[in-house]
Amino acid sequence: MAAQSSAITVEGLKKYYGATKAVDGISFDVRQGEVFGMLGPNGAGKSTTIEIVEGLRDADAGSVAVLGLRQPREAQAIKSRIGIQLQTTSLYPRLSVTEILDLFHRFYPNRKTIPTETLIRMVDLDEKKSTRSKQLSGGQKQRLSVALALVNDPDIVFLDEPTTGMDPQARRQLWDVMLDLKRQGKTILLTTHYMEEAEQICDRVAIVDHGHIIEIGAPSELVHRHFSEIAISFQAPDAAETYQSLAGVSHAVSEDGQVTVYTTDAPRTMTALLARESADGAALRGLNVHSATLEDVFLKLTGRALRD
Amino acid sequence: MSTVLSLYVANLKEFVRDRAAIFWTLAFPIVFIVLFGGIFSAGGSPSYNVGLVNQDNGPVGAGLADVFQHKVKPFKVTTSDYDHAIADLKKGTLDFVIVLPTGLSQTVESHHTAQVQFYSDPSKNQTTSQIQLTIVQQVLAVYNQQATQTVPPLALATNSINTHVVRTIDYLMPGILAMSLMQLGLFGTATPLVSLREEGVLRRLGATPLPRWQLLVGQVMLRLTIAIAQAALIIGISMAAFHVQIQGSMLALAGLVVVGAITFIAMGYLIASLARTVESASGISSAINFPMMFLSGIFFPLALLPAFLAPVVRALPLTYLADAIRQVSIGSVPDFPMWVDLAVLGGWAIVCISLAARFFKWD
Repeated sequence: MAAQSSAITVEGLKKYYGATKAVDGISFDVRQGEVFGMLGPNGAGKSTTIEIVEGLRDADAGSVAVLGLRQPREAQAIKSRIGIQLQTTSLYPRLSVTEILDLFHRFYPNRKTIPTETLIRMVDLDEKKSTRSKQLSGGQKQRLSVALALVNDPDIVFLDEPTTGMDPQARRQLWDVMLDLKRQGKTILLTTHYMEEAEQICDRVAIVDHGHIIEIGAPSELVHRHFSEIAISFQAPDAAETYQSLAGVSHAVSEDGQVTVYTTDAPRTMTALLARESADGAALRGLNVHSATLEDVFLKLTGRALRD
Repeated sequence: MSTVLSLYVANLKEFVRDRAAIFWTLAFPIVFIVLFGGIFSAGGSPSYNVGLVNQDNGPVGAGLADVFQHKVKPFKVTTSDYDHAIADLKKGTLDFVIVLPTGLSQTVESHHTAQVQFYSDPSKNQTTSQIQLTIVQQVLAVYNQQATQTVPPLALATNSINTHVVRTIDYLMPGILAMSLMQLGLFGTATPLVSLREEGVLRRLGATPLPRWQLLVGQVMLRLTIAIAQAALIIGISMAAFHVQIQGSMLALAGLVVVGAITFIAMGYLIASLARTVESASGISSAINFPMMFLSGIFFPLALLPAFLAPVVRALPLTYLADAIRQVSIGSVPDFPMWVDLAVLGGWAIVCISLAARFFKWD
C-alpha cells in the first residue's frame, strides 16, 4: 500500500565523512505526484541525501526505496526511470544543445523519450539550440541541465539546487518550468536554500540542518505551526533577550546585528519599541514588519539565517 | 551498439572542434617529422666529411684508402696527416677521422690483427656517428673476408653499403611514430579524462543508465582513430617528402600502431586513475614522458647509452615499441626479437588495464 503511493521512501539514512556527520539519520517519504523540497543552508546534508537517493553515492546506514526499487541494489533499473539534474553539471563543452540532448536520448534505449525539440521548447532554449554548451550563460546551462533530466520522461525528477547562482529573471524562468512539471503530475525532489523557491513550488518541505531533518510539512503549515505571530525586525546591537520582555513578544532572536521579535500583539509591541527608542535615543534602523515566513521558521529552529 | 557509436561521434566532434587538441595531437607530430626530416635528410642521401690519415706504406693501407675514397659514396674523403686531421675534427670541418697506422700491411701479412683507428667527436650527433661507425665496420668486414681468403657465407658487395645506408631520418621516423603514440596515450588520454571527471561530465553520464563499458569503448575508439590518423600522417609525410621507405609490410606496421596505441592508452587510464587533478595528471605524464623519450632509443641507438641504464631501458615499453616499428620499417637489426617486443607491450597493457580497472574513480 505504501509502496504504491510512495515515490521515495528513505529511512534512517546516515553518511559520515570521517568525523563529519553529513547525513545523520534522515527519514522521509515522498508521495507520487508530490513536489518535495529539502531546505537548508550549504553543508546541511541536502545534496548528500539527494545523491544517495539518486544512487550516485552509497549510504553508511539506512534504506532507500525509489519507485518500489531498492537503492543501491537496483540502481540501474532506477536510473532509467528517474531524471537527475546535478548541482554542477558541465557537459561536452563543444557540442550544441541539440547534439547533447540527442546523445542523451541514446542512453535510454528501452524507454520512450521526449523528443529533443519538445525538450528545448519546455526549457525555452529555442534560440540557443545550435549554440555550443560552453557558450551558454549560467542560467541557460542550468535549463539545459534540467532538460537533460527530462529526456527519459522520468517518473521522478531530482533537482539539486537548480537555481543557485541565477539572476532573478532566470530563476523565475526555471520556476515556470518546474511549475509546468508539477501541473503534469511529475514527482519532484528538490533541494534549495531559497525560501521563496520552497514556498512557491513545494507541496511539502523538509528543513535540514546538520544532517538532520528538523521539521517537515507543507510550507504554510510549518509557518502556522510555529508562528501565530507577526515578525518585527530591525537593526540593533543588543542581544535577543533584551527584547524578550517587551509587551506582546513571545520570542526574539538576533543574528548579525539584526533582531527579530515575534509578537501576538503587533500594535502594543510597536508602541513598546518606540518608547524604548525615545528613552535610549537609539533609532529603529531597517524596521520591517511582516507575517512569518519559512525564513522565520528556519531562524527560530536553528537560530541562524538561511541566506548566505 | 548504436549508443557506443553515438558516443564515439560525440567524442569525435568534441575533439575536432578543439583546436588546441588538434594541434598537439596532429600538427605537433607533423612539425616534428618535417623538422627532423628537413635537418637529417638534406640533399636526399647523407654525406660525411671524412679525414683519412694513411700512415701505412703497404698494399693494405692503399687498398683500404682506395675503398674509403672511391667506393663508399656517403664519404667525402680528405687525406692529410694526423695532426691536421685531428685539428679539423676539433674545428668541426670533419665529421670523423680514420687512421690507417704505420705497419698496418706488415701486421696483416704476418697474420696478426691490426687496428684501424676511428676518431669522432662525442659532442656531435650520436646517431650519425653510430651510422658512420657502422659503415666503417662494414668496409672492414668485407676487407677481412677478402683478406682471409675464406669463402664468405654471404657475399656483401661494397656498393651495397651505399644503397642500403640507413639515413638518420630513416632511423628517427619509427622513433617519432612510437613517441607520438606514447604521448597520445599519456597527454592525449590521461589529461582529457581527468578533466572530464573534474568537470563532472563522467558523473553526469554516470547518472544515466549508460553502462560504463560503453562510455569506455566510445573513448578508446576515439583515441585509436587519432592514433591511426597520427601514424598515417607521420608515415605518409616521411614517405612523400623524405623518401623514407617502409621495408616490411604496411599491415604489420598498422598492427604495431594499434598495439602501441592500446598499451599507452591503457597507461593513460592508469595515470587518470592515480591523478585527482588535471595538473597532477599532466605532471605524472611529463614525468613518464621525459625518461621514455631519452632512454628508449628513439633518438639514438640503445648501444650508446651507458650500461648502468640498461635495466631501466629494458623496463620501458617505448623501447620495445620503437624497436618493433624499426624492425618493420627499416628492417634494422632487432634489439629484441619481435615476439619479445609484442610480449612486453602486451604485458604493460594488461598490467595498466588491471590497475586502472582497480583504481579508476568515476567522480
